[in-house]
Amino acid sequence: MQSAAVGLPNASDEPLTEAVVDLVLRGMWRGRAESEHRPLVDAGLAMVKGPVVLPTERAKTAAAQILRVPAGSEQEKRITAAYEAFLPVNRKIRDVCTAWQCRPDGTANDHSDDVYDAGVRESLEDVHEAIQPVLRRLGQVLAGSGQYLTALEDALDRFDDGEPEWLASPLCDSYHTVWMRLHQELLLVLGISRAEDEAREEELVARSRG
Amino acid sequence: MSVTDREAGPLAQAGAPLAPSGTSEVSEASGTSTTSTTSATSATSGRILVPYGQGRIRGLGADELGAHGAAMDRLVALGLPVVPGLTVPAGAAASLCEPDTAEAAVALVEQLSGRRIGDRARPLLLRLSASAPTDIAGLPPDLACLGVSPARADDLCAVIGREDALYEVWAATVRMIAEYALDVPGAVLDDALLDTPGPRARVEVLLSLVAEHGSRPFPDDPAQQLALAARALLGRWDAPRARRSRRAQRLPADLAVALHVQALRIGPADHSGYGTAVSRDPETGRLSPRGTFFRGVRRSAPPPHTGEPLDRLAGGTALLEHSLVTLERHLRAPVSVDFEVRDDEISLLAASAQVRPPLRASVCLAADLAQEGALGREEAVRRVTPAQVQELLHPQLRLTGGEEFLTRGLPASPGAATGAVVLSSERALELAADGTRVVLVAAETTPADVPGMLASAAVLTGSGGVASHAAVVARGAGKPAVCGAEGLRVDQAAGTVRFGERVVREGDAVSLDGRTGAVYAGTLSVSVAGPPPELSTLLQWADGMRRLGVRVNADTAAEVDTALALGAEGVGLCRTEHQFLGERLPLIRRVLLAADPTARDEALLALEHAQHEDFHALLAAVGNRPVTVRLLDAPLHEFLPAPGQALDAAEEQRAAALREANPMLGLRGVRLALLHERLYPAQAEALFTAWTDVAATGVRPDLEVMVPLVSLPEELAAAAAYVRDAAAAVAARTGVEVPYRLGTMIETPRAALLAGELAEHAEFFSFGTNDLTQLTYGFSRDDVERQVLTAYQERGFLTASPFARLDPHGVGALVDLAAERARSVRPGIKLGVCGEHGGDPESIAFCDDLGLDYVSCSAHRVPVARMAAAHSALRERRDESGSTR
Repeated sequence: MQSAAVGLPNASDEPLTEAVVDLVLRGMWRGRAESEHRPLVDAGLAMVKGPVVLPTERAKTAAAQILRVPAGSEQEKRITAAYEAFLPVNRKIRDVCTAWQCRPDGTANDHSDDVYDAGVRESLEDVHEAIQPVLRRLGQVLAGSGQYLTALEDALDRFDDGEPEWLASPLCDSYHTVWMRLHQELLLVLGISRAEDEAREEELVARSRG
Repeated sequence: MSVTDREAGPLAQAGAPLAPSGTSEVSEASGTSTTSTTSATSATSGRILVPYGQGRIRGLGADELGAHGAAMDRLVALGLPVVPGLTVPAGAAASLCEPDTAEAAVALVEQLSGRRIGDRARPLLLRLSASAPTDIAGLPPDLACLGVSPARADDLCAVIGREDALYEVWAATVRMIAEYALDVPGAVLDDALLDTPGPRARVEVLLSLVAEHGSRPFPDDPAQQLALAARALLGRWDAPRARRSRRAQRLPADLAVALHVQALRIGPADHSGYGTAVSRDPETGRLSPRGTFFRGVRRSAPPPHTGEPLDRLAGGTALLEHSLVTLERHLRAPVSVDFEVRDDEISLLAASAQVRPPLRASVCLAADLAQEGALGREEAVRRVTPAQVQELLHPQLRLTGGEEFLTRGLPASPGAATGAVVLSSERALELAADGTRVVLVAAETTPADVPGMLASAAVLTGSGGVASHAAVVARGAGKPAVCGAEGLRVDQAAGTVRFGERVVREGDAVSLDGRTGAVYAGTLSVSVAGPPPELSTLLQWADGMRRLGVRVNADTAAEVDTALALGAEGVGLCRTEHQFLGERLPLIRRVLLAADPTARDEALLALEHAQHEDFHALLAAVGNRPVTVRLLDAPLHEFLPAPGQALDAAEEQRAAALREANPMLGLRGVRLALLHERLYPAQAEALFTAWTDVAATGVRPDLEVMVPLVSLPEELAAAAAYVRDAAAAVAARTGVEVPYRLGTMIETPRAALLAGELAEHAEFFSFGTNDLTQLTYGFSRDDVERQVLTAYQERGFLTASPFARLDPHGVGALVDLAAERARSVRPGIKLGVCGEHGGDPESIAFCDDLGLDYVSCSAHRVPVARMAAAHSALRERRDESGSTR
């Protein structure tokens, strides 16, 4: 990770750098010990709101600078390729989470229909099969990205062990929560805005139209 | 994806209780799979290959034909047009992997469809699929493109007029055969596909990978392709993920599947395609085919946004409508079909009763069938559960026409909410910490918005759709959400949101409905929707079937109006407390804290006057219906000034003397009335006078006066005397003898035990089951709901909160005993329940079984209670007819 010109109080402070990136990618910390967030708060990179620790705007800018790979580099090119393979699957995982939460007619899924839920689980398997080659590629060009496959598999295991919140709940490191983090890291690494991301995803999904 | 395009399942299926027949086939399903392995070897090909429509003749059911084969049989039997095809029964499925059988199958489908594979003008391909005896998840994906070879591909594309569609389906077919029948490692295929954009190039790459890594090259011969495809499907069915899926659905590990070879008749994309349709409009429930069709080659997951509405079908929808109506009559359920369009003609690929039809479709169909006489009214009423009634009466914004519409977005998470606009997680958490209801508004959402969403009452975004991260999070957290709102622009720096020209500032109130996607400025009230017309019809029929009356707990004329519109037969509980709170609080405070009798009488007079107006409005709204008015019952502390807030030192002292350690068990109800002897007479006189005024307009409410929190018969006798004297006073003053009944609440265990003695003074009882539950358990509701009940439910001590569901063993036993003792003294005594339990279906059935006269519940539960009471009566009827047999 490069940390020059980041505007951090101490650019060589590696634990702080990792912490600010983690906080920004997660969006918040809940239930962390004060010793963990205190240095960030003191550095103006985090704020405490009740039980939640939030990143400041400065932290978001800092994390974006820390993560961004050099524009036009070979690494950027290869990560972009993985990102473009990620996007169509990104559409699918949201459809899967939506199908888990809502039936096709829009009513809430009350999980009383085993066949329906098993069908959603099948689609999740399709997503999981599709994301693995993408993450394999990414692992070769983006340090640390290997954690995502581990975290996704952990979430899937918990889900299969009968804890359905591990698919889409925002309150734990569910499949969707981990996925959002991965997505956010890709955007910051490549310096892509949410609006560009949405347009790009739409274009890639549409490309498969007959 | 298998969820979103789950094919219409079989006609005979578990989970479709409305199917009139076929259940026997389901029940014997799956166990028979091992018996017919012999048929694969010994049977003739005529037995192994069963054309659609001929299974029954050959004595085969869904266990052998698979759900799809059985469904196609039925469609043929109903005279509906189906796509040509055949089934290889479950027991013989493996034989399709043999070249001989595969060749015979190709020949038979060619014969059935009148086309030949490789014919340039009218080409044919094959589609291979699998089905289990019932509709299940986790079946292998269809192999949808068999019979094509590189040499013939250009001819096919020329006929279709579009290239990508064919190559994409072809690539998926080759991909699966390569991995599951030709032993090419999946990772090699995945990596190659990642590197190869474009479907045509992908097919080329896949075929060369098969040549390089596969156990043999990919064949050009259609029969050889079909045999390999069968091996791939069965291999995939045996793969770990399919086994896990069977476990999850509690299906046998060795469940056998039937294979189906369907004709895929290729035609010009402008006149050919495929689609799905349902029989009813999901919004209104009305019979009106709704669906989508896609031009080109059939795919298991049609690309998004390429579907077209049914009215664009060049050949019209008449045949489709005919098929849907025929099926609906046959299955007595809302149905869905998959269909193929070939040269503008429709034929069916699959059809089924919808497993989970939209609620309004089910309710509308029940009403339609009953009105046509195809279904008995009782059966129609039975089909709609009380919980479904509740679901149809979901909370929504109460629109008056005067509200300011801001924008409309996509309905992303159901529910209606209102709150102050916040533009950041930070602000959301700050305001929510103070108890302010906030609505998080964001142009786009990132993980940083999640904490804000969790703290908000609702979420509104300017981008993203129903499947956006924001929508997923909102539903995961149970928050209403509207996403992708049109024209929404957030200006963080200025602290504003623009909706087109309109500017809303952070902190301003907005209201949104996550079911319609509508967003309004300001705070709108959230209330229950009225029943749609078809539900009103069913509820009217239900009213004719139930014995138990349904009344409403309502305190004001406005509440009474709402409840009557929802079908309440009267008011079971009018709490007069509210008449003393709010702006009237100083009046009652003056009564309680009066320095001397003169001051007290003045205060009482003012109170009586105010109450008269309230009662007048209430009785006028009730009309010629029963209304139970409960005399004052509120804990004293609600009326006393806070310490230090009294008018003077003397009043402060008097107030201090009245403060209690446990007001809920202190000086309240009849106890207060006996210490402040003018209180109930004043209330009763106001009530009776209001009745005479209303009666003068020709309306005669059926008045019931109720004394609360009684535990001694003497208390009731004393309170009854006040009421009698008040009636006499009003009669003397107005010359009108007001007809009324006097009764009591049964809220304490002692009152229940002494019901016989109380019945000597009371013409009716109303069980106040909230207090009766508190006092029977010794539970303080506010405290135990927070601390105890959840823990008890987790430990399995309680299956439901006793405040939500009447405890039949303890509290219910007291009600039972009180009813029995009361009837022994006064046989015709009127008995009702006015706790929250009056709106809970199980508690209602319990009350019905005890023979109580009515339940009374809050207005929005009235339709639920009507349906629950009817279901209870119908269940008894069914039980009785069952026991006489």
